[in-house]
Amino acid sequence: MSATTLHTEAGASDETRATGKSAGRRFATLVVRLGAIAAFAAIMAYFVVFAPGFTSTFNLINVVEQSAILGVLAYGMTSVIIGGGSDVTEGGIDLSIAANMGLCAAVYATLLSMGCGDFLSVLAAIAVGMAVGALNALAVVGLGILPLLATLAVLNVAAGMELTLTQNTVVGASSPLLAFLVSGSFLGISALAWALIVFSAIIIAIIHGTAFGLRLYAVGGHPEAARAAGLSVPFYVSFTYVLSGFCAAVASVLTVSRLSASTPGSGELLLSVLAAALLGTVFSRRFVPTMGGTLLSVLFIGLLANGFQLLNVSSYWVNGVQGALILLVVAITSFARGSEGSR
Amino acid sequence: MQTAKREIAVSMSNISKRFGPVRALENANLEIVRGSILGLVGQNGAGKSTIIKVLAGIIKPDSGTIVINGETVTALSPASVEKLGVHFIHQDRLLVPTATVGEAVFLGHEIGFGPFVSRRAMERRAADLLQRFFGLELPVGTLVKDLTTAQQKVVQITRALAQKASVLVLDEPTAALVKREVDSLFDVLRRLRDDGIAVVFISHYMQEIEKLCDRVTVMRNGTDVGTVDPRETSVEEIISMMIARDVGEMFPKRSVTLGAPVLEVANLRLGGGFENIGFNVRAGEIVGLTGLLGSGAKEIVQCLFGLKTADGGLIKVEGRELSLSTPVKAVRDGIAMLPEDRRAHGVALGLSVRENISLASLRRYSKSGLVSRGSENQAVDGLIKELSIKTPHRDALVRELSGGNQQKVAIAKWLSCQSRVYVLDEPTVAVDVGAKVEIYNLLNRLAGEGAAILLLSSDLLELVGVCDRVLVVYRGRLAGTFSGPSMNSDALLAASSGARPDADGVAA
Amino acid sequence: MSVSANSPKPSLRAFLAKYSVLIAFAAIVIFFALTSPTFLTPANLFNVLVNNVVMLAIVALGLTIVISSGGIDLSVGVSVDMASMVFVMLLAAGYSGVVGVGGGLGAALVVGILNAILITRLNISPFLATLGVLFIGQSTQQLATSGGQPIYLTSGYASDQFNAIARTALFGVPTPVIVLIVLSIAVHVLLHRSVFGRYVQAMGAQPGVAWYSGIRVPRELSMVHVLCALLAGVTGILLSATVKSYVPLSGNAFLLDAIGATFIGTTLSRERKPSVVGTLLGVLLLAIVKNGLLLVGWNFYWQQVGIGLLVFLVLAVSFGLRRATH
Repeated sequence: MSATTLHTEAGASDETRATGKSAGRRFATLVVRLGAIAAFAAIMAYFVVFAPGFTSTFNLINVVEQSAILGVLAYGMTSVIIGGGSDVTEGGIDLSIAANMGLCAAVYATLLSMGCGDFLSVLAAIAVGMAVGALNALAVVGLGILPLLATLAVLNVAAGMELTLTQNTVVGASSPLLAFLVSGSFLGISALAWALIVFSAIIIAIIHGTAFGLRLYAVGGHPEAARAAGLSVPFYVSFTYVLSGFCAAVASVLTVSRLSASTPGSGELLLSVLAAALLGTVFSRRFVPTMGGTLLSVLFIGLLANGFQLLNVSSYWVNGVQGALILLVVAITSFARGSEGSR
Repeated sequence: MQTAKREIAVSMSNISKRFGPVRALENANLEIVRGSILGLVGQNGAGKSTIIKVLAGIIKPDSGTIVINGETVTALSPASVEKLGVHFIHQDRLLVPTATVGEAVFLGHEIGFGPFVSRRAMERRAADLLQRFFGLELPVGTLVKDLTTAQQKVVQITRALAQKASVLVLDEPTAALVKREVDSLFDVLRRLRDDGIAVVFISHYMQEIEKLCDRVTVMRNGTDVGTVDPRETSVEEIISMMIARDVGEMFPKRSVTLGAPVLEVANLRLGGGFENIGFNVRAGEIVGLTGLLGSGAKEIVQCLFGLKTADGGLIKVEGRELSLSTPVKAVRDGIAMLPEDRRAHGVALGLSVRENISLASLRRYSKSGLVSRGSENQAVDGLIKELSIKTPHRDALVRELSGGNQQKVAIAKWLSCQSRVYVLDEPTVAVDVGAKVEIYNLLNRLAGEGAAILLLSSDLLELVGVCDRVLVVYRGRLAGTFSGPSMNSDALLAASSGARPDADGVAA
Repeated sequence: MSVSANSPKPSLRAFLAKYSVLIAFAAIVIFFALTSPTFLTPANLFNVLVNNVVMLAIVALGLTIVISSGGIDLSVGVSVDMASMVFVMLLAAGYSGVVGVGGGLGAALVVGILNAILITRLNISPFLATLGVLFIGQSTQQLATSGGQPIYLTSGYASDQFNAIARTALFGVPTPVIVLIVLSIAVHVLLHRSVFGRYVQAMGAQPGVAWYSGIRVPRELSMVHVLCALLAGVTGILLSATVKSYVPLSGNAFLLDAIGATFIGTTLSRERKPSVVGTLLGVLLLAIVKNGLLLVGWNFYWQQVGIGLLVFLVLAVSFGLRRATH
């Protein structure tokens, strides 16, 4: 019986071609990543040379402090993107995270001003943040609503509740914890900066060191494969939304400490959070969102604002440069993907 | 093979399952024996995949009993089945593209300490297993998306082996593999069988079934119609069990008189793809095109539809010279394309039958930019009837149609354009035998009406059965043209793999 | 397989899933009619229409086209603002209303073309491309207005032009409402009756199929984004004509509501495709709830909670029930 179907005869030429192709692809990807990182580095180098005091320890710690809130929020967003997949319209996204932080801050500051202790107030803020996260999880996982839409609706609920609670006013707050966060320091590094460092260490360990984190990537990268491997996809996705709510609550404590109050308008942070989480992918070898990459892009955004400030450039440029960078990074990425897309 | 004392790993009996009014399974039985390779064959819709999904715990049967390792099991779930040692190698490569090989192999069963994983240990173990079972060496930390299709399949099997599978179910595992890889996969499966593992092998390729399997269970209409020994039963007999009719009927005979050349190609070349390609296709003629993966045959077809732009040469349709740089131009110039990936390029599942059929020819049914529904409906209804597309009505979603009918919708789209040249890229891949016959009939009818048809296929039986002439491409050049008695699968295979052609000639 | 298509079991669930928006709409109207005596008065409904519906609806129409094509436009707010800014600046500089409107639409056109280039030439996904443009647009406005200072037009300043747009009426129907009606019909015809609309639907359903069918996907997609930006620009002009000023970054307020309204509208179709009728219904629903909550005494802050919960519930019912019937 003769063979009736042509399978390729796998000659040596085919082998080398296949590996050659993937090597070429890896090279292109590398060039893209290095190019984007080089652009970041060039901007930093410019600041180092021309911005007075940019590299001073004081200034750098200041930047880390300023980045703490954005960083913690961006971790929440990153976890949602990891677990839900990075397809921006269908995949994981938490548009409610900044509004959630605003709500938590309002709850925290209001309870403090009513005379509740730090412990109770922090606990309440965390409970509220996680409850909002759970609501997102219910909508996305339980009811199957597109994350973009579900979290959009929850954004409105959270923002409205914040406004109702504070009547759109500044709620001043002071407590031992807040005092410590503002003025405490250890090894010459302020408590606020430590907060970011410790939180980063914990979240990087969980997402990148444990089997749980590994499985989370599988759930987001290929849900079918995760299911076939016996993982409960709904559980992991739900977890990311609740974690995102938790991050919002932690960030709320930090923001109240920085401003000694809860203030309206926290929703404006959303775009920066999104930008940080998305930009972070260029720092990853696999072009996936990572906590380390997110931290780097948060610091980068912080340094960008700081450098402009030191150079007396209007801070109004920051948004624009951030936007242009997103476009640059994504355009180069899609260019590299396009050249490999012939497969 | 020991027939007296067979150790049964899995026994499924009298399994029935209904989806609404559709009977997917009706008292179906399946017996999987340790140390033996069982082939499972049947047309699409015969119930193969449903019974496998029942075993995998994905679908709950309405009735029937399942015995695994001597124990009757109820309420199977994907997780519990794996615990019982039954593993599935799915047709889709269910691997996370951004994972490393080590992560992919051990997903769900990670190696490490407590909650923490040791990436190094996983990579090392995975490399070890790949080396031992397949002789495959990959750079440490290679990502799944950087692997070839075959390597991904191999990683999937390694995954099951790493978890000490005792029953291995492979669904169309060779579909994307090259021949040498198929051979080494078969060696692995035989070795696993000799180690006492029960293997179930699902495939459309009958020769593979014949070559590999110890027993073959044939399914038809939701039930098993028999289990045979492939060494005693011919492929033809197995196929007739599947379709309940004669194989000879698969390739309908036809007789046409060929007209003037419609498609003329001369000196076509594409850097890194092919060079000096020249042939023509006459009205009423079906010309086959074949070659191994990477031979350039696929690229020729892509150039003819403007998906790739040739670096030089001539393409003429009905005497008019064309410059094809995009599909937009190809469609305008009367070239129709039936792409290999039907769901991505052929039909839009979320659109209605009507919208799909008129999509490429909307200008015909429109006045000053607005679609005239009357003339559109009329044309669409005509085509639905002409091709006997089985659809509840013209506004039903294509998603709701069977694969064969979806393919007919894709063809109807081009009939609506009144295309003169039809380029078909593997039109019968993953289509069951019944639908294949319908597609062949359709090709014959198109040709009968004077269309020129170029059929790219790697199914040699199909080429011999359907085409008037077959062009073989080898390493970017035409290695031969075959017709009449010289056109048989042995000759085509020889020419495809670079043996000296015993052909009619090199250019037509 | 084809049998499942005509399995005619019109279950209650499927019915509820399909008409959840209409049912919610009716229930809400009845609720407010019973609880607020002023709700159903012509004066109030007129007020809702002019102040809460028109501008949001026009932005939502643009998003309906984009979402139909399988994309998204996060920069509609920028288009609104840019049109508003250029319009007001031109009028303030003493140009005529026609020049102002032309300039405003021109500014929106630039945003649309920028989006189109990023998406079709540089192959950036619509979400990220328009997110980038959103950032850049915000910066541009801040830089142009020294950090967000509004530009007011004192009365007398080309007030005729304003009045011509915002304060006049034709047969008792205010001009903005007429603009909305005309645009709605135009977009409806374009999206659901024209060849272009069919191409848009095909790109939304499966871009590969559109490309393989000989459709000029980049060209059609560019058109989609330009149209969306232009429609948002119309809203920008109506907005500044109504409030007689340009307030930087005010356009963003439309984004979330417009996306919400469009997606609420998609629950009307089995395949969850956006439609003009659905979008208008979504906008009306949001507007009526805002107005009704105000009338029954909820303050502005509670309104937002109410809107959020309502959108959440409509989505929950629609998606949840559909999932259950699958």
